[in-house]
Amino acid sequence: MVDAARQSKIDLRAYTEVERVEGFVGNFKVTLREKAKYVIADRCNGCGDCSSVCPIEVPNYFELNIAPRKAIYVPMSQSVPLIYSIDMDACIKCFKCVEACGPLEAIDFSQEDKLVTEDIGAIVVATGFSHFDPSVMEEYGYGKFPNVITSMEMERLNNSAGPTAGNLIRPSDNKNPQKLAFINCVGSRDKRFNEGCSNFCCMYSIKNAVLLKQMNPKVDITIYYMDIRTPSKGYEEFYDRARKMGIHFTQGRPSLITEDPETYNLYVHSEDIALGEVIEHEYDMIMLNTAAIPQPDQNEMSSVLNVAQSPGGWYMEYHPKLRPMDSPTDGIFFAGACQGPKDIPASVAQGSAAASRAGRILHSKEWEIEPTVAVVWPDRCVSADGKSCGLCSKACPYGAVDYAKGKAAEIITAKCHGCGACVAECPHDAITQLHFTDAQILAQMRALLAEEPHKKILAFRCHWCSYGGADLAGTSHFEYTANERGMRVMCSARMDSDFIYEAYRLGAGAVLYSGCHPQDCHYITGQLIGAKRAKRLSTIFERMQMTPGRFRIAWISAAEGDKYARVLNEMQAVLDNMPEEQLLEEIERLKPEVTKRLRRFPNVPGVQEAMDFSDTMVTAITTKESAA
Amino acid sequence: MSHENTIETFADQVKAIPGGEHLEMCYSCGTCVSKCMIQQKLEPEYNPRRLLRMVMMDMRKEAFESPTTWYCSQCDLCYPACPQEIHISAVIAAVKQLAVEAGYSTPLSTVSVDESLCAGCGICVMACPYEAPHLIQKEVDGVMDLFSEVDENRCMSCGICVAACPLGAISRKGVSNKEIIKQIKVKKQKSIPSLVIFICDWCLREDDDLSILESYPANVRVIHIPCSGRIDPQMALLALRAGIDGVLVCGCRPGECHYQHGTDITTCKMSLLDTMIDQIKLRDHRVKFVQIGTQERGRIRQEIDSMLETLNARKEPH
Ligand SMILES: Cc1cc2nc3c(=O)[nH]c(=O)nc-3n(C[C@H](O)[C@H](O)[C@H](O)COP(=O)(O)OP(=O)(O)OC[C@H]3O[C@@H](n4cnc5c(N)ncnc54)[C@H](O)[C@@H]3O)c2cc1C
Ligand code: SF4
Ligand code: SF4
Ligand code: SF4
Ligand code: SF4
Repeated sequence: MVDAARQSKIDLRAYTEVERVEGFVGNFKVTLREKAKYVIADRCNGCGDCSSVCPIEVPNYFELNIAPRKAIYVPMSQSVPLIYSIDMDACIKCFKCVEACGPLEAIDFSQEDKLVTEDIGAIVVATGFSHFDPSVMEEYGYGKFPNVITSMEMERLNNSAGPTAGNLIRPSDNKNPQKLAFINCVGSRDKRFNEGCSNFCCMYSIKNAVLLKQMNPKVDITIYYMDIRTPSKGYEEFYDRARKMGIHFTQGRPSLITEDPETYNLYVHSEDIALGEVIEHEYDMIMLNTAAIPQPDQNEMSSVLNVAQSPGGWYMEYHPKLRPMDSPTDGIFFAGACQGPKDIPASVAQGSAAASRAGRILHSKEWEIEPTVAVVWPDRCVSADGKSCGLCSKACPYGAVDYAKGKAAEIITAKCHGCGACVAECPHDAITQLHFTDAQILAQMRALLAEEPHKKILAFRCHWCSYGGADLAGTSHFEYTANERGMRVMCSARMDSDFIYEAYRLGAGAVLYSGCHPQDCHYITGQLIGAKRAKRLSTIFERMQMTPGRFRIAWISAAEGDKYARVLNEMQAVLDNMPEEQLLEEIERLKPEVTKRLRRFPNVPGVQEAMDFSDTMVTAITTKESAA
Repeated sequence: MSHENTIETFADQVKAIPGGEHLEMCYSCGTCVSKCMIQQKLEPEYNPRRLLRMVMMDMRKEAFESPTTWYCSQCDLCYPACPQEIHISAVIAAVKQLAVEAGYSTPLSTVSVDESLCAGCGICVMACPYEAPHLIQKEVDGVMDLFSEVDENRCMSCGICVAACPLGAISRKGVSNKEIIKQIKVKKQKSIPSLVIFICDWCLREDDDLSILESYPANVRVIHIPCSGRIDPQMALLALRAGIDGVLVCGCRPGECHYQHGTDITTCKMSLLDTMIDQIKLRDHRVKFVQIGTQERGRIRQEIDSMLETLNARKEPH
């Protein structure tokens, strides 16, 4: 941090929040709120004279409220930058600090928050994580029993720069504890609170035990755990070392802590799984290793930044294996625990990767994007005629549509990720997607349904999930019906109602509408748009009295090859259960209704040509096949 | 590759019973084992974690013979503590159902109904937390009549029905009315107040707390009962009539009762008792009901001491 502050090309803005992010990769406009410190940064030299005369003491949040600070303060002596600020909620305006500051005249009570806008090329988000509050777990007595503390409190209590100068004392009587228990997985790996593993608690639990043991080899430490996870280089060896030092490891998740009301000693009730017995041991002090959780403002920040969140609330990376430091929005990167709990080495690695990715942007004049972007036909857009619409801009997960009544909508190409949501949502067919035009998709559909369409199951799959699921079903040799005909689009958001109607008009036996699970969607909210449309279609087909199961919606991840096979086989069973004449009759019955809904489809540029051309193509294929 | 399973596993059977479907989420953390009090108080072999494991490993016979299958009283102390949100007692109940179907029966000694006293009123049917008693038409001594019959595989032996039966027709070994009344007699010393404590077998988790009970002189008499619901108001009145100064009834905190709602029944009975005491003009503050939580180490000492203090204050002439 000190190095960063010294580097002339790094401009540190402490006590500053990001309010708004506009623009796109290489061209962001970021609005920052520089909060009033009531101290002029350029004048403050960090001497602290003001703080020593300040008469007000309040708990210091940085020391987890176990030590005090003044109303004019820095949270810790190593703060970077070392500039004091006044907590106006605590200040009584005695102005003693002003006097103490003297000729430096650094204190300015008239300061106000300032909004500044900066041109930014790339953004790295490194907002880290927060901590689960264990007081909601009544069984562990945190907040009620003074000698039950959290791991963060332990970090301060055994830190030489902490409030006790590293002298570990127990809160009830300031004595040095001799017998300690650490409890892992408090609020993590726990369906009631946080499902996920917090990644680093096993290791810091061992670290703290080793540190305490080094300071005083006589202390007795037991770590209660469900599993010890040491999946990095040297970690297992560290665990070995801890055991050699005499630190006890008890497998068993404690169900209860009780307190002796006279001595304030604590009793841990647990099963010792190795023994297969219930044990109850007495301790002086207990540390709870609480779950790492997303920052409380992570939801708000994700909408400010327009990035997605994974289940559990962490920021979602572009690709878990190949692009773990990229956000789904070009030019925004993640570093560290904000993207998911990780320890310091992993955070540093990701941070360095993110910085070099960001550097690439700053050094490029041009930026290459995927070619599958959306394009508006301005003459078809009704907004140009003064009609209000804007459905495209509502649908776009990236805010890439520049829409204003009175002019045709326009796609900001650099922001478009090519999900195709706007294309499918536009009721006037005024938008197309390069490489996934209606005409191209239609041509494929017609080819796939050329022969005995009533026996075919046309499966729309999204590129990132269900297509991968189908792929996996294949490579895993999960057998599924040979009557499936797969169609790939980028996102379920691109699966236009017209395609589904057209499939039935062409006589398809069944249609599958498949994509990612909502939390896996590659395009932030693309799946939600797709799912909404699919549901609407499903109601329409129900009203048309289509046999249930001929239209199927399924969310299938790339890891669910078995599910893909199962869904297809179930759909095949629906067709198998219908006598052929009945199916053909139903197809004929529904044709006029779907055709009515398709009346505007041939007007889409290219569609009529695709129909004509694919008709000749289909004729060609059929002739060839029947000749063979 | 074929995914058809032709043989139905033990796990499949358990999962097919409503409640049993949670089975496979268990990652064997052991929380339920130390949360449950049966292992400490009744049966060292009791272990829900291991029972779930047996089911997953297709160990049918071992599971059916395990005390865990039979001793779980569905108190659900473990359920809110399980980090995998497994409704453990429901899984155990599913195993028990299969065990009963396979011809196994409970090792618990359960209650018996004396048909010569039973009037077929059905109050026990309403009181039982486990739907163990039911009324049946039966011919006894040549007369067709309604009688209560208890399904032994459902009865958990809490004794709530024993206290509820207005005719004293039900008894449970060790805590029949007679056996309890016999224990009420306390050696009376003039100088110090006498106290009878009815304490349920489950509300004190810690051994320390149990030894506190033993630490008082003979004028404090402790009577152990399976559930505070086993006590009927008459017992307390009887004690007062016999010249005892005070009665303390201890049960579990609501939601933690080993027999589901025994402690709630006691709450109702105790307010009834208050009214009765008022009517027969016994001095008040002599009977108290306390509900002790599993986390409240040392609370029993506070309660007994404060009761003795109150009684002492009454004894001293003003
Ligand atoms: C008790 C404990 C002990 C640990 N011990 C070790 C250890 O020994 N070794 C190890 O490798 N790892 C350890 N870890 C893990 C380590 O803390 C993390 O790996 C590391 O902190 C992650 O770094 P980060 O920069 O991503 O996030 P953080 O350290 O959380 O930093 C994020 C920063 O962003 C700031 N911020 C948040 N939101 C905003 C916003 N909206 N605007 C501006 N700023 C914001 C925060 O104030 C914070 O300063 C430990 C964790 C705990 C809980
Ligand atoms: S909705 Fe999708 S295709 Fe349309 S502009 Fe946005 S990102 Fe591009
Ligand atoms: S508490 Fe839940 S997860 Fe843990 S052993 Fe018991 S049933 Fe399994
Ligand atoms: S429900 Fe009660 S008796 Fe049954 S295992 Fe859980 S804690 Fe034990
Ligand atoms: S003893 Fe309890 S469980 Fe058994 S029949 Fe009576 S009330 Fe029901």
